[in-house]
Amino acid sequence: MGRKLIKHPGYTIILVLYLFFVVFPVLNSIWLTVTNGHFIEIVKTVGQDTILLLLKSSGLSAIIAIISTLAGIVLGFIIYKTPVRFGKIFKITILLPLFISPYILAVAWKDLLLLFFDKIYGINSFFAIVLIHSTIYIPLSILIIGSALVNVSRESEESALMIAGFKKMFFRILLPLIKPAILTSLVLVFIFSISEFSVPAYFGVRVFTTEIFTQFSAFYNYNLAMLQSTLLIIICILLLLSERKYIADSPFLSISTRGKSTKIYDFKNLNRLGLLILIFSLLVMIILPLLELIYQSFEKGTGQFTKAFNLLLPTFENSLFLAFIGAISTLIIGFVAAYFSEVYRKKNLDSLILFVFAVPSIVLGIALIKFYNRPFLSGIYSGFGIIIIGYIAKYGFISAKLMGNAIKQIPSSLNEVAKIQGIGSIKRISFITIPLILPAIFASFIINFLFCLGDLGTTIIVYPPGAEIMPIKIFTIMANAPESLTGSMVLIVFLFTILIILILFIIFKKIVVFYNVDY
Amino acid sequence: MSIIKLENISYSYPEEIVLEKLSLEIEKNKITYLLGDSGSGKTTILRLIAGLEIPREGKIFIENKVVSKANLLIIPPEKRKIGYIFQNLALWPHFTVFKNIAFGLKNRNTSNIEKTVLDMLDFFGLKDYIKKFPHQLSGGQQQMVAIARALVLEPKILLMDEPLANLDIRSKKKILQYLILLRDNYELSILYITHDHREAFEVADNIVVLNNGKIRDFDSRDQIINSLL
Repeated sequence: MGRKLIKHPGYTIILVLYLFFVVFPVLNSIWLTVTNGHFIEIVKTVGQDTILLLLKSSGLSAIIAIISTLAGIVLGFIIYKTPVRFGKIFKITILLPLFISPYILAVAWKDLLLLFFDKIYGINSFFAIVLIHSTIYIPLSILIIGSALVNVSRESEESALMIAGFKKMFFRILLPLIKPAILTSLVLVFIFSISEFSVPAYFGVRVFTTEIFTQFSAFYNYNLAMLQSTLLIIICILLLLSERKYIADSPFLSISTRGKSTKIYDFKNLNRLGLLILIFSLLVMIILPLLELIYQSFEKGTGQFTKAFNLLLPTFENSLFLAFIGAISTLIIGFVAAYFSEVYRKKNLDSLILFVFAVPSIVLGIALIKFYNRPFLSGIYSGFGIIIIGYIAKYGFISAKLMGNAIKQIPSSLNEVAKIQGIGSIKRISFITIPLILPAIFASFIINFLFCLGDLGTTIIVYPPGAEIMPIKIFTIMANAPESLTGSMVLIVFLFTILIILILFIIFKKIVVFYNVDY
Repeated sequence: MSIIKLENISYSYPEEIVLEKLSLEIEKNKITYLLGDSGSGKTTILRLIAGLEIPREGKIFIENKVVSKANLLIIPPEKRKIGYIFQNLALWPHFTVFKNIAFGLKNRNTSNIEKTVLDMLDFFGLKDYIKKFPHQLSGGQQQMVAIARALVLEPKILLMDEPLANLDIRSKKKILQYLILLRDNYELSILYITHDHREAFEVADNIVVLNNGKIRDFDSRDQIINSLL
């Protein structure tokens, strides 16, 4: 039997395309910066101020990562390990801030605080960023840590409880067992936070990403912007590499926990305290900002809301289209990376996706602009292609991880028995792997769809002139519009997001019925 | 006459040698039991015969044709005319009993899939369960479905990796009687892994005893029993 020249042509094609369209632009930017004739001069301009700014941004992100992770442990435990009332409702609602663009919460919180206090000392400061970023990333920590808590073997906990009290078991057994998830949460939140641009920009706080953006778009100092970007990339890559083992192999972000028997702790009267903590968290993270947006929008009648709706109406089509294509593309690339990494141990694409994930959104945007701004690539540069590439680069990691963990949980014998029966690889993927990881596919699609829909960091750099895209429109209007109009626009996006989640959920239910899978 | 022949087979994981220069011939139309402790290389032998692993050294023959040799898969698993029952049975959890059995047939030129599946289910007394999912069946019924799924493709060799380990004695006896029936009626050669000596002494035609990747004993059941007396 002859050997094929390329064993997995589909994988190879996607790998080559990913290398060319996504990885190469980033490497190209770094290379151009380093080989620039003025590189040494530029390095000299990176003075104490830049280093201090980098340290401040890192410190800020570290604080956010610690707060989110600690809150993730407490809330994750209450939701996943206690018989708290309305647990199922909390499981879903508490994740909502993750799907809402950071600038939405920024607008809501700023208005909310100014509603009660005429001028608050420090509102336009790091405090605001810590509050809003923590609100956004706590759900991510809950998701990561909650999945790990559910996956801890019941026997490990029960055998510990037989020789020690709850407190000792919690700190000596449970926390060490979920250490990979805790570290993963810290690293991911740090990277997401240090890359985030819209919240510091909205509050006018100077951090490293806003500085890069200013150097690039206001001073047209591309080289300095790229050098600063490279510093940020190095920090993120070092962090990711140091945690590679955990992030690559620990089952975080597991969607299906079917068949797992989880130890539930009934604290009797103290369960009420858990319920109160959850209600308070939900109030701070969702309900208060939402109420403020509603109040702001309808304070003076429905006029501003209607105006906001008319302003946003032309952006719906483009935004939905781009988010859909972005989500589908990341889904395909994530699946290919995850499938080949888990089934065939081919990790090239998976590693490249991880590398690109370490590149902050704003830096990614600059790299894409620099690479695609040439005549033979003008089709991509001046159209929506560059935005889609940005989405793929930024969110491919989430898809790959979600689906990788789901595929990891399918016994290899299910595929092997099909292989022995002569069922080809395409049919095995379509009828065995995909139906068994449907929840992860759905989660990946919905998360990426919503992330793409609200993406600002990369889109603000790469969007073609005149393109009507929802987050860009809001962000540009935000600067000069009255608060009621901004609030109305943000409320519309919020409601739009919730509506999309509901529609996607109904579609998923139909697909589950079609595949006849019992989840 | 042998149906499977392993010639000087070596196989290793990065940090562990599993099989070293192992040679073995499995007779046609016989039930051969592979006995041995955990880690003695039993499952690896089955996976090598199935084509799920490739030997580092040596050759594997099925019906006198070389199917694998050193680092080379010559005939892929699907063309070896084998059925494989995994230890965890590997029933597709999202397929009904009917679909679990029919799925492989859709790839072949089977004229009447429905009749073929129903006949097979009838043989194993599972006709009433065609619309059930695997998790709705008892352990013994799941076992029958796994065997039916393998047999419906008319293999010449059935490889069974300790599939009855978790069954109660009654279900186990029933399935073992089926194996004898299959050998006699379908001219099937069965290679069966187990820890259980009693089970082997009851059903096997031949017994291979493995120890640390090497054959310690290989003879007919009667000879093995006599040697122990």
